[in-house]
Amino acid sequence: MDWQSWLIGIVGRALAFGTPLLWGTLGEIYAERAGVVNLGVEGMMVLGAFSAFAVAQSTGHPGLGILVAALVGGGAALIHAFLTVTLRANQYVSGLALTMFGLGLAGLLGRGWEGIPLKQPLPSVTVPGLSKIPLLGPMLFEDQSILTYIGLVLAVVLWLLLYRTRWGIVLRSVGESPATADALGVNVFLVRYLAVILGGVLAGVAGGYLSVEYRPSWTEGMTAGMGWIVIALTIFAGWDPLQAIWGSLFFGALYHLSYRLQAWLPPELLKLMPYAFAILVLAIAGLSGRRRGAPGALGVPYTRGEK
Amino acid sequence: MRRIGIVVLAALAFLGLSALAEGNIKAGFIYVGPIGDYGWSHAHNEAREIVDQGFDWLETLYVESVPEGEVETFIDQLVAQGCNVIFATSFGFMDGTLAAAQRHPDVIFAHCSGFKRAPNMATYMADFYQVYYLNGLMAGALTKTGKIGYVGAFPIPEVKRHINAFTIGAREVNPNAEVHVKWIYEWFNPAAAKEAAEALIAEGCDVFAFTEDSPTVVQVAAEHGLPSFGHYSPMYDFAPDYVVSGQLVHWEAIYRDFLKKIHDGVYTPKNLQHVDYWWLLSQGAVEVGAKPGMMINPVFEDDLKACVIDHPVFGKISAYDLVMTRYNQMADPGVTFDPFQGPVYDRKGNLVIPEGMWPSVDTLITLEWAVEGVVGPWPGEPEE
Repeated sequence: MDWQSWLIGIVGRALAFGTPLLWGTLGEIYAERAGVVNLGVEGMMVLGAFSAFAVAQSTGHPGLGILVAALVGGGAALIHAFLTVTLRANQYVSGLALTMFGLGLAGLLGRGWEGIPLKQPLPSVTVPGLSKIPLLGPMLFEDQSILTYIGLVLAVVLWLLLYRTRWGIVLRSVGESPATADALGVNVFLVRYLAVILGGVLAGVAGGYLSVEYRPSWTEGMTAGMGWIVIALTIFAGWDPLQAIWGSLFFGALYHLSYRLQAWLPPELLKLMPYAFAILVLAIAGLSGRRRGAPGALGVPYTRGEK
Repeated sequence: MRRIGIVVLAALAFLGLSALAEGNIKAGFIYVGPIGDYGWSHAHNEAREIVDQGFDWLETLYVESVPEGEVETFIDQLVAQGCNVIFATSFGFMDGTLAAAQRHPDVIFAHCSGFKRAPNMATYMADFYQVYYLNGLMAGALTKTGKIGYVGAFPIPEVKRHINAFTIGAREVNPNAEVHVKWIYEWFNPAAAKEAAEALIAEGCDVFAFTEDSPTVVQVAAEHGLPSFGHYSPMYDFAPDYVVSGQLVHWEAIYRDFLKKIHDGVYTPKNLQHVDYWWLLSQGAVEVGAKPGMMINPVFEDDLKACVIDHPVFGKISAYDLVMTRYNQMADPGVTFDPFQGPVYDRKGNLVIPEGMWPSVDTLITLEWAVEGVVGPWPGEPEE
């Protein structure tokens, strides 16, 4: 068992398992940057996973499946936006409801689709030329999903948007102090709607990745709690899209290692490692007293004219 | 899903008030998962549909996704709807079912995979260990690296028994074969199964078997061009070129026999204290195959026929013929072979089953040791 095979395994699997986490986390970061917590990630993901599979299976086009997953995720997020932004419902309750609704609906609609292998999964890519580089090639450029690369580019783009453009300032101001943003002429409701919908779109793609690429078939509840890891990763990343890359990869690597290291460490311990780490990070963030980028108005519904 | 189950139940409650005709049976089935799980509950429900169609004196109801702690409530409802036979199909239903059996002495209960019985409560189980052994024979012949990967759900006696039987089979054909085990600590978690399988591939395993309620391991192996064995449901369609064989269940064999004997008056709510179905290949409760009727995927027939070994009992024999021979020994009504036929040593060198002996059912359902050839953590492994 040489160190190279370990490194290739860890990085390669971290990318594969980290991809849905990255997509989901980027979306949640944007929603929360606008001040809206959406605990419905799991529900949006699972709806995305089912719709992507159903469309890919009926049309034979996995790409179309991903596209529909994005729309379905965005549609589900629209419900959350309507409830929390327009009706000013409690964001946590609405998000939890969305998760349960998504799991239930996908399970119900997905009945006839279980146990069928996807005819045409999203093909994995091996980058010509680059995959020949020793070590780095098999680690980063062999048998990866196109969505992995798009996700990485997207993280950079979303980071630039957030910190280097006027759009980003507007988004952040809505999350920090919606009243001030409103006074400056920003349409707080519109920004929040768009951010939440974008969050749903990305969560939908994350789900689609699971059912047409990562494990090309549909099974009820196949997201298996990934939406909750996304919520933790959003905090772990300090609401920063670039940090989300490291966070997702780190969780992906821990997940892989929890199986690779079973020969040496008790599997029960390894199994809880990623979650123990999430708790640790939250505790450190809390103890250090730094807000670590949490938007000021996170979780607070905005009402015009109220102080 | 449970909500839908309750609605169905409520609707049926109205219909169910019509009195049962004399001698008719109304059987209620309680599932722990959704019937669409493509695993355990799905298989029980398929069996329910088969027996329901097979007997004109039988009517069936079911409730799905029943939380283990709430089974008594659901049993009471089914009894109120006129059920006179109740099948509780999860180990975790055991105590609740026993309590309900004591409250409803005129109703017949059967609990799947447990060990507590009463005058009106029997137990039943269709076990795969013989099937895993036969799959192991094939795996031992097909591995080139000598490393076979196994993704296990939980380190409990049932799964350990299956891994052991599988390993005994693999080493009967290939004495140096190792079975590398990864645990995922869940009955159903496709992502965990995928990463566990990937980890096994990274360690050099090239043939796969598993205990988990999704076809993930089959899919991952096929992506890497490697053979695997399906579990529980027919998984041939997921990778027609790579699924060698697998384990299939026929709960209907048990349901048919049990219900028929109630109808014939053999079983009553007074005489079930010692009724325990432990059904295997010879009773038709389990089947070895990639899908029903396909014992060995034709794609692998030549490889198995070409693998000729020097067997201590049969001399020169191909892996294919060995599988058939062993299958016949176990599938014939007068079973003449058991995979755990002694001497069996655990991997710490202890003699766990003496020369020439077969293990009792009790030994099998409480089994904690790992046979030689099993590699990886084994929580609960006996010391010394």
